[in-house]
Amino acid sequence: MNPAWTFLTAFAGALLVLLLPARSAAASRWVALVAALAGAGVALGGWSARLANPDAPVWSLDLPWIPDLGARFHLAADGLTLSLLLLTGIVAVAGILFSWNVERRPRAFFACFLTIIGSVYGVFLSRDAFLLFVFYEIVILPKYLLISIWGSTNKEYGAMKLTMYSIGASALILIGLAVAYAASGAGSFDLSVLAAADYPRSLQLWAFPILFLGFGVLAGLWPLHTWAPTGHVAAPTAASMLLAGVVMKLGAFGAMFVAVPLFPEGFAFWQPAIAALGVAGILMGALTALSQKDLKFVIGYSSVSHMGFILLGIASANLWGLRGATLQMISHGIIAGLLFGIAGRVVYERTHTRDLGKLAAFDLWRTLPGAALAFTLATAASMGIPGFSGFVAEISVVIGLWQSNPWLTVFVAFGIVLTGAFSLRALHRAFFPDRRDETKPAKPLPPLTKPELIAIVLLLATSLAIGLYPKPWVRMIDEGLRSPLFESLSLKP
Amino acid sequence: MNFPALISQVLPEVVLVVTALLVLGLGVGGDRAGKPMRGATGRLIAAAGSLLAIVLLWSVEATAGTLIAADALSRMSKTAILAMGLLSVLLPPAKGEIKERGEFLALMLFSLAGLSLASGTNHLLLIFVALELASLSLYLVTGFPRTARAGEASLKYFLFGSVSAAFLLFGISLVYGATYQGDLARIGSMLDSASPLAAAGLAMMLAGIGFKLAAAPFHAWAPDVYQGGPAPGVAIVASASKVAGLVVAVRILLLGFGLFGGSAAWGALAVGWAPWIGVLAAVSMIFGNLLALAQTSVRRLLGYSAIANTGYLLVALAANDGASAGAALYHITGYGFATIGAFAVVAAVEKNRGSDSRDSFSGLVHRSPLLAISLLIFLASLAGLPPLAGFTGKFAMFASALKGGGTGLAWLVILGALLSAVSLYYYILVLKCAFGSDEVGSELDVSAGHRVVVLVSAVLVVGLGMMPSPVLHGFVSALADLMPG
Repeated sequence: MNPAWTFLTAFAGALLVLLLPARSAAASRWVALVAALAGAGVALGGWSARLANPDAPVWSLDLPWIPDLGARFHLAADGLTLSLLLLTGIVAVAGILFSWNVERRPRAFFACFLTIIGSVYGVFLSRDAFLLFVFYEIVILPKYLLISIWGSTNKEYGAMKLTMYSIGASALILIGLAVAYAASGAGSFDLSVLAAADYPRSLQLWAFPILFLGFGVLAGLWPLHTWAPTGHVAAPTAASMLLAGVVMKLGAFGAMFVAVPLFPEGFAFWQPAIAALGVAGILMGALTALSQKDLKFVIGYSSVSHMGFILLGIASANLWGLRGATLQMISHGIIAGLLFGIAGRVVYERTHTRDLGKLAAFDLWRTLPGAALAFTLATAASMGIPGFSGFVAEISVVIGLWQSNPWLTVFVAFGIVLTGAFSLRALHRAFFPDRRDETKPAKPLPPLTKPELIAIVLLLATSLAIGLYPKPWVRMIDEGLRSPLFESLSLKP
Repeated sequence: MNFPALISQVLPEVVLVVTALLVLGLGVGGDRAGKPMRGATGRLIAAAGSLLAIVLLWSVEATAGTLIAADALSRMSKTAILAMGLLSVLLPPAKGEIKERGEFLALMLFSLAGLSLASGTNHLLLIFVALELASLSLYLVTGFPRTARAGEASLKYFLFGSVSAAFLLFGISLVYGATYQGDLARIGSMLDSASPLAAAGLAMMLAGIGFKLAAAPFHAWAPDVYQGGPAPGVAIVASASKVAGLVVAVRILLLGFGLFGGSAAWGALAVGWAPWIGVLAAVSMIFGNLLALAQTSVRRLLGYSAIANTGYLLVALAANDGASAGAALYHITGYGFATIGAFAVVAAVEKNRGSDSRDSFSGLVHRSPLLAISLLIFLASLAGLPPLAGFTGKFAMFASALKGGGTGLAWLVILGALLSAVSLYYYILVLKCAFGSDEVGSELDVSAGHRVVVLVSAVLVVGLGMMPSPVLHGFVSALADLMPG
């Protein structure tokens, strides 16, 4: 199956939803679900075909587009790309299931949602920097609309802050790409051509941080991460899942596949700084999460902390590090989606509060045992308990880090302890509160609905599958890391 | 001189003038029964004339020339100008705003003929005459509604315009004094060592062109004209007039004075016009974007954003490079259609709600989904979001400027990219009103003229953005043909 169908079905779904007659909530969510399932199906088909037949030529599509600019419509789907597509597909389906109850302007909601999904697929597939940037930028307006129309807590501020950070970061990316294009002299935006060009060291030293920072902001790079918790808390559930789950990964993907291969000398120079910022992100994110009162803010800051592992993996600049970074993209995508889904949809829609203090009154482990169980498992996954995907990803990053900057692993160890602390604190306070007054039973809450249950099982099962049997994922990811883009890093097992 | 051949090369302008006389006559004389011409009839005749002009433009073979240069550049830019003119004349003015329909349409067509002539000549004298034809018509068009605001706008436009025309003419006379030439190609080949007289002349011409393009600090007229003028007239001022101004700037700077560019590169500044263009670009981008942040009138907001946009164009010009100028011409084409579309939406909203303030756009998506979604397309394109023309244009300009002018121009590109990010803020505030509110008001009454203009502009903005090649390549190769060597 042609992997381009992933974004084609998503965009077609978005158009189709818009064309539905007004006030057709059920029809719009079914259309959205079918479109998301189709995209996920294409990704799964491509992924398993690639796994079964790893020596087949990589699918690619290379059409002329803007010859005067040297931009081509160049897509390719190696194992790594297909793994990221699969992640996107799973989060997309889960997100739509978690927004099954959206009644307010459902057509526009799902159109925005599907547009984001389609663009994310497009970014992962692009092998031309211009095309990648086009997909990357399409996300901005739908993100804004989703948060500012359907959001909660301080939504206008959160939406505008997130949008201005995104567009500011995009301006940096534009500058970096234009500089690379001009300095390479090849008149092409093809990533492999740009990466093969010889840039003077002096240029790399200033161009790399511009490009890396541009992508890094979207990846939650500390200290430019503050848009993420604010924006993700303000966003409606499905959008939080999507933003934290896959859109943040676009930044990490760009940093890894564009910034690093284009300016390897600049990367080598700034590598310690990136590693330091990664560690700072892990520690500061975890510490801030430890003091939050709002359950969604805990998850928002935990995302910053987990994204720090991706940056650390990239900064390690070795096979284990990059492998771990990619695994963490996938793992965190699943787990963040799950946590946001439970906190924002399952709990909030029933209790109308996310305040850790007020949630105690609901005695959630008795009144909503399914959600309590799911959140416990998700917390375990997020903490990096073996058996879940988080463990595999983070241990790979730590091995990579040990090979490149062994002393930094001390700080990471602290970070892991802190992760345990804030995760358990939130879990305990929200779901297993100490109730003084055992005589007054809490008000019963409606049980989990079918769409919620399916989405939870889907995400948990994926995390478990990766955690228990990571081999196929590692094999697929390693295939992408053998790409000529990473030649300058000389990745050896 | 072979007169039939000459006439065949100015056929588009001839058609425009004849159409203008026709609507003028119909407007004054009325039909056989003596009733005055209906507005729609006049608009359709004017649009048909513009369409015929485009067809005739492409039916004549392209030839190089001096006074009438029917080269590829003039063909491409005239097509853009005439297409923008076609959409602008189709826009219905506000009810009761225009009493003399025939005169109003005729003046718009005269201005189009002037803009079209100006973009198709390599001779300084004809550039001046043609630009004056356009400017004089547009001053009048701006002042047509008998409101205090339109009067003020028209007067400001006229005062600034006539001073800058004086600068332009004086500059031309100095250049003529230095070279005894009005032909830009010859001036380019004759001036091999910097002549102080020609340099002074060029500086004065820059002021004149800066006015046409609304570059800061020659911009002060723009927000007032955008706010006070009638929508169809402002649409021409904001689109076709900008295209002609840019073509004239490209012909003068690249063809006539290409050797005197110097360099605007950071750390490698060299004397010439490029550093000045770079400064104008920086000032326009900063000034336009920052002032646009404070606007609540959407018309004024578009006026300030036009100033900022001129700044982006000048970044590409500062590279003194054909491919960058081609990208700039592509960008102004997409920009022109986006602005016309935006003005059509503003006009339709004004007609229903009586104001162009941001608040009057609230709930637009429920009142008229077509207008709201088109407005989203236009503003997103102006902000430079893909897959729209504004994105491709800005990206192409910035990338080619760095490629053609060297990475030393990065300071301008960095400034441009960051300020362009700022611009999203003020566009989003309008979009937030249009899309964010749940208030379901009465449906807007949108006339067919508005609908057609909005729809065609939206299709063009999306089409130019996703398939930029025909237009981008047309301009880039036209400039490659034009440039010596």
